[in-house]
Amino acid sequence: MLKPKDTYDAVIIGAGISGLVCGCYLAKAGMKVLIVEQHYKPGGYCTSFKRQGFTFDAAAHSFGGYRENGTMFRIINDLGLNLRIERYDPSDVIVTSDYRISLWNDPNRTVEELQSAFPHESKKIRDFFYFLSNSEPFDFVVLRKKTFRELLDQYFTDENLRSILSFPVLGNGGLPPSLISAFTAAKIYIEFLLDGGYYPGESMQSLSDSLARKFKEYGGELRLSCPVTKIRVKENVIEGVFLDKSTFILTRNVVSCCDTRQTVFDLLGQRLVREEFMRKLETMQPSLSVFVAYLGIDHSFEPLLRPGVNVWIMPHYNIEEMYLTLRDKSINETMGYMIRLSPNGKSLQAFVNAPFKNKEYWIENKYPLLEDFIRRIESVIPNLSQHIVYKDASTPYTMYRYTLNYKGAAYGWASIPSQLFAPEFKFIDGIGGLFLCGHWTAQTQGIPGAAYLGSETAKLILRKGKYGL
Amino acid sequence: MTDNVEKEIVAIISDVSGFEPEDIKPGTNFFQDLEIDSIKAIEITVAIEKKFKISVRDEDVPNITTVKEAVELVNKLIAEKPNVKA
Repeated sequence: MLKPKDTYDAVIIGAGISGLVCGCYLAKAGMKVLIVEQHYKPGGYCTSFKRQGFTFDAAAHSFGGYRENGTMFRIINDLGLNLRIERYDPSDVIVTSDYRISLWNDPNRTVEELQSAFPHESKKIRDFFYFLSNSEPFDFVVLRKKTFRELLDQYFTDENLRSILSFPVLGNGGLPPSLISAFTAAKIYIEFLLDGGYYPGESMQSLSDSLARKFKEYGGELRLSCPVTKIRVKENVIEGVFLDKSTFILTRNVVSCCDTRQTVFDLLGQRLVREEFMRKLETMQPSLSVFVAYLGIDHSFEPLLRPGVNVWIMPHYNIEEMYLTLRDKSINETMGYMIRLSPNGKSLQAFVNAPFKNKEYWIENKYPLLEDFIRRIESVIPNLSQHIVYKDASTPYTMYRYTLNYKGAAYGWASIPSQLFAPEFKFIDGIGGLFLCGHWTAQTQGIPGAAYLGSETAKLILRKGKYGL
Repeated sequence: MTDNVEKEIVAIISDVSGFEPEDIKPGTNFFQDLEIDSIKAIEITVAIEKKFKISVRDEDVPNITTVKEAVELVNKLIAEKPNVKA
């Protein structure tokens, strides 16, 4: 017999940034909302952990989109989150054997720095950044079939400049310029690189915790360590979710923030899903995952590294080859990577894109690869290993284990133009009350992307009045 | 046919924007009335291209601000399609 407390206006699967933001908006509007999360802490890729006195951000390490009218600015203010937000300047530095280019909080300063490094491309550099900063929404429609390579070619002839501009896009989007959609790359520039470097208080966990707190203040209920086992549909309408075999939660609306494959194959059952959707799903390729080194240190490496600044180490200019080697082999000596001193200056995080492979590969290779990675970083930061007092790493399998993202994908589906979809991955045709959300549903990613999708899904539910309040 | 085209376009805009079809009129402005941003603009364009099997040209894109303009453009592109009855 179902008790009234087991009935909700909406159940959200996953307490990543998109689920938390969606939950906050729905609860704020007066809906009775339950968020269920399989991990023991909220945040998805935006979580942090402590080891031997050091705090490490698990994956997401800063956020963007906090300029006035930026996505994060709007959402944080809408929800009245109480957060102390710092911004680091520059947010990013790209280092090659010939150049050291900073991405400053003031985009004009970034433009000037690039112009002085590449004077022959001076006008085009200004035009490129003007396009990114001043375009209207429909101006981006012309990018929908283009790759970033095609966009760069419209502006620049200097191969090194094109590579320098592409490297942080590889790091933030997991694809080289010949494959990544120009739109996704433009969004990475607009939201991560030209308006990046923000940090929420103690650690990235502060952002997730603050959303979780706000959600509860609005009357929402968050259950952690609580996986959903099944979504039940009756006569083409959502009826509820099973939390385990015996706990059934009655609801008319389910927002699934986990990946589409999991929603379809594990939670829904593919017999409920139309053939056309299944065919599309089977062709979709996920993005790469990441390998992250977490190093606790007892020494300041300033000015080589400055707290809160992402430093992109580019060993060579061939981004295409860098990507292919990462995708087809594994992390290796030709890879570029990003290293970052934590805002409190006590720990280092180093990131490289990595293929999922399988659990056994990473169990066998995690520590040898971590040692290799540290040696490689040491060529840029001399004597690093003498100052490491704690070290560990996350592999793509770790990313999968904590978030259940398909193949540990860091950015949802790979952002290639052919996977730039219409809203078809936001709903499953023929199932009323089911909303798909999160980085698997649109070509926007990272914290601003996930937060945007959470707020938009909430708006859809509230506007359409599809919920049974 | 034009009425059907308009209905289909309104349905797509409604799906993407979350606004009810009856709130989407010919004079409705995508940006001021429907909060269409760059992602939704692409989603609407891609969905329209797929639905009507047309390809929107880059030079046509900046001229679209209202539902009426979108319907007119789609009708024009359908009429221009080779060997297909509009």
